[in-house]
Amino acid sequence: MAHAAQVGLQDATSPIMEELITFHDHALMIIFLICFLVLYALFLTLTTKLTNTNISDAQEMETIWTILPAIILVLIALPSLRILYMTDEVNDPSLTIKSIGHQWYWTYEYTDYGGLIFNSYMLPPLFLEPGDLRLLDVDNRVVLPIETPIRMMITSQDVLHSWAVPTLGLKTDAIPGRLNQTTFTATRPGVYYGQCSEICGANHSFMPIVLELIPLKIFEMGPVFTL
Amino acid sequence: MLPRAAWSLVLRKGGGGRRGMHSSEARGGGKMSPYTNCYAQRYYPMPEEPFCTELNAEEQALKEKEKGSWTQLTHAEKVALYRLQFNETFAEMNRRSNEWKTVMGCVFFFIGFAALVIWWQRVYVFPPKPITLTDERKAQQLQRMLDMKVNPVQGLASRWDYEKKQWKK
Repeated sequence: MAHAAQVGLQDATSPIMEELITFHDHALMIIFLICFLVLYALFLTLTTKLTNTNISDAQEMETIWTILPAIILVLIALPSLRILYMTDEVNDPSLTIKSIGHQWYWTYEYTDYGGLIFNSYMLPPLFLEPGDLRLLDVDNRVVLPIETPIRMMITSQDVLHSWAVPTLGLKTDAIPGRLNQTTFTATRPGVYYGQCSEICGANHSFMPIVLELIPLKIFEMGPVFTL
Repeated sequence: MLPRAAWSLVLRKGGGGRRGMHSSEARGGGKMSPYTNCYAQRYYPMPEEPFCTELNAEEQALKEKEKGSWTQLTHAEKVALYRLQFNETFAEMNRRSNEWKTVMGCVFFFIGFAALVIWWQRVYVFPPKPITLTDERKAQQLQRMLDMKVNPVQGLASRWDYEKKQWKK
């Protein structure tokens, strides 16, 4: 989760997110370069003593500032496409969880090895224990094993929602009448937070997602299935 | 107010698109006919029409002298010819003004007004703060975040020394 006034990305908990952080750094450097260049040109324009405004016919400069942005865009597009295809790689998930968005809570179904279905509501402020995080903590977390490929099937029962966990690099829209799939592999145990990312009504800000990632051995012992 | 003759001149000349204000208005109604109404801008500093079009006899004689060799002209004559041709020198055209003081004054005034409005809202409109924003609760949340090792690679937990139980120096 993010600490207060955090500006940057959260630390990665999956390999894809690590790639995304690196790509973000790359794209940000390019953005800083372009912004600095433009600001410098603006500064020169505002402080020059020259007065001629009827300059035209600068063919060499026009060629450069057409070709160079095209090259920059290719330099951004290639890593981006690489990561895009990496997310769709075949990784043979061991576990499939269904996540269904409602107004205004999530339902999770673990139906691979039995039937476990539960709702996950945000804790209202009056129900918060000391140390609980307002607007983030839920009554029932999604417990999952680390270091296993997991498939999430996401849909909605009423309006559009979006199931997002930033530290895993996940955001998938929950669309009524449609099943969207996303896969991930978590590398670290811990509790990871996310929030609904598609406007869905009055309590859109109050339907968070909490994943509890535990070691596979403990997961197999079945704490999830003893509600 | 400007007399009728000047107004008719102002209306007739009209001022070209880029030339902006009329010189007589710029000088506060000082110069009137026989002077034209071209107001030089920094990006269009030398208009084609001369500033002063109707010349008296002395000035016409000077113009005749100008057609000869310029080394014959005295300094005062050159200055007079410049003033006939152009409204202002570059130094006069580029002079600074006190407009920035007015602008900054208005900016600060409106910022202050907005601050007063926000203060009023704090007193009469905003609901009470949530219970989780007390210092005690915030400390408990921070402790829980450190126990969960939130962002241990480069973020929060990476800056906490778990052996010494303090922030890393």
